[in-house]
Amino acid sequence: MESLGEAATRALALLFSGDAALWAIIGISLKVSLQAILYATPPGLMLAFLLAHGRFPGRRALISTFNTLLAVPAVVVGLSVYMALSRNGPLGDLRLLFTQEAMIIGQFLLAFPILVAMGHAAIQGADRRAWETALTLGAPPWRAMLTLMHELRFGLLATVLAAFGRIIAEVGSSMMVGGNILNVTRNIPTAIALETSKGEFAQGIALGLVLLLMALVLNFTLGVFQGKGELRA
Amino acid sequence: MTPEPNPPVLRFLDLHKSFGERCLFRIPELSIHPRTCLLLKGRNGAGKSTLMKILAGLEAPDGGLVESGGERRPWHAARQLCRSQAIYVHQQPYLFDRSVEANVAYGLEQAGWPRRRIRATVGEALEWAGLSHLAGRNARTLSGGEKQRVTLTRARVLQPRLLLLDEPTASMDRAARDQTQALVRRLRDEGMGILISSHELQEMTPLADLILTLEEGRLRQEDDTPPKIRAVPPHPAMATALA
Repeated sequence: MESLGEAATRALALLFSGDAALWAIIGISLKVSLQAILYATPPGLMLAFLLAHGRFPGRRALISTFNTLLAVPAVVVGLSVYMALSRNGPLGDLRLLFTQEAMIIGQFLLAFPILVAMGHAAIQGADRRAWETALTLGAPPWRAMLTLMHELRFGLLATVLAAFGRIIAEVGSSMMVGGNILNVTRNIPTAIALETSKGEFAQGIALGLVLLLMALVLNFTLGVFQGKGELRA
Repeated sequence: MTPEPNPPVLRFLDLHKSFGERCLFRIPELSIHPRTCLLLKGRNGAGKSTLMKILAGLEAPDGGLVESGGERRPWHAARQLCRSQAIYVHQQPYLFDRSVEANVAYGLEQAGWPRRRIRATVGEALEWAGLSHLAGRNARTLSGGEKQRVTLTRARVLQPRLLLLDEPTASMDRAARDQTQALVRRLRDEGMGILISSHELQEMTPLADLILTLEEGRLRQEDDTPPKIRAVPPHPAMATALA
């Protein structure tokens, strides 16, 4: 077994050599997670807004449910999606199991509660005057909602980035419903799990470095936007 | 029947609002006429802001009627009418996180005006308020007085028939207060009906055609209305301002 130092050196060499297999894995990761966050964000934030501004029966129960779902492990989501998409499941006829679409569904379900719960907290804490000002200046409620979201864009962006951070690094759901098929459904976390189990630490470390780099970029971006928001508040 | 010479923009009848057991107010009648400025007094928590938001269609009363153009309907059916006729300005005016120009243009964009017409109207309005030099500045970076002027300009471009100003000169220095009062006076002279809630009676009195007090859930005309106000010949329609 190679030492940690040797593995790290080989990992860097792999990254900078443009290894096709490695970059294919990174590409699949980004493609799946970006699509999942793209599909989850509009309905997630819309529901967050309804929970913050609407008054309807069951609202508090829904808020509690989404707060609870924040803690659901990715494997449990994976298991649920697996059961739904497996041949005997209610959605078995769609033949989506072990495809990127199945991974997107799993990641959508992981991201959605984060978007709703954190988005609700951000909108709930918003200055009510923004909403009232938009309405009194003639905006219909849906335009007033967009205005409010624009006013809260830094907080909501933090919500979206937090959800993206969760799904880009999750392994449980992607492994179960994607099947870790090379060049099809193998993403960064599932590849790391596989390479580590084979004793191939170099590729695992290389992919881990990519994940770390992504986390760094996300946090840096978030910091920049939050800083902008604070300056104008 | 002789038509009213200066019919009210809106007439509110039997407006009432409670919070739990506590009756915040019950107002048999309140009319606000064009080219008229009413000053609304009352201690903190008397319900002045709530009343103004109800008049603007932003907050719902427990009940009440709205009369406009001879037609009378329940407040809940007239909420949109209230919103289309009135603009409410918060005690601490809220400006969107965008430029002064974009703030003033906001309502016109919602009304679907063409971009070129918006630009011309906004430019003219900023000049009217002496704010042209601030057009490109982010509105959040302005001083309190400048913010209030932007808010009034933003309301003016929409030509509302009723302007509801909640403590418009609170925490302002002398110069900013004078500028704000001058703009309010011009808006009234342009034909708007204006209702101002204020603690600073002395400061706002010169603007007022009538002073009202909201106290213990009742709206009444100020007993000690200053002589200057009393000296103003009451408009015939003003008789209906209070029940």
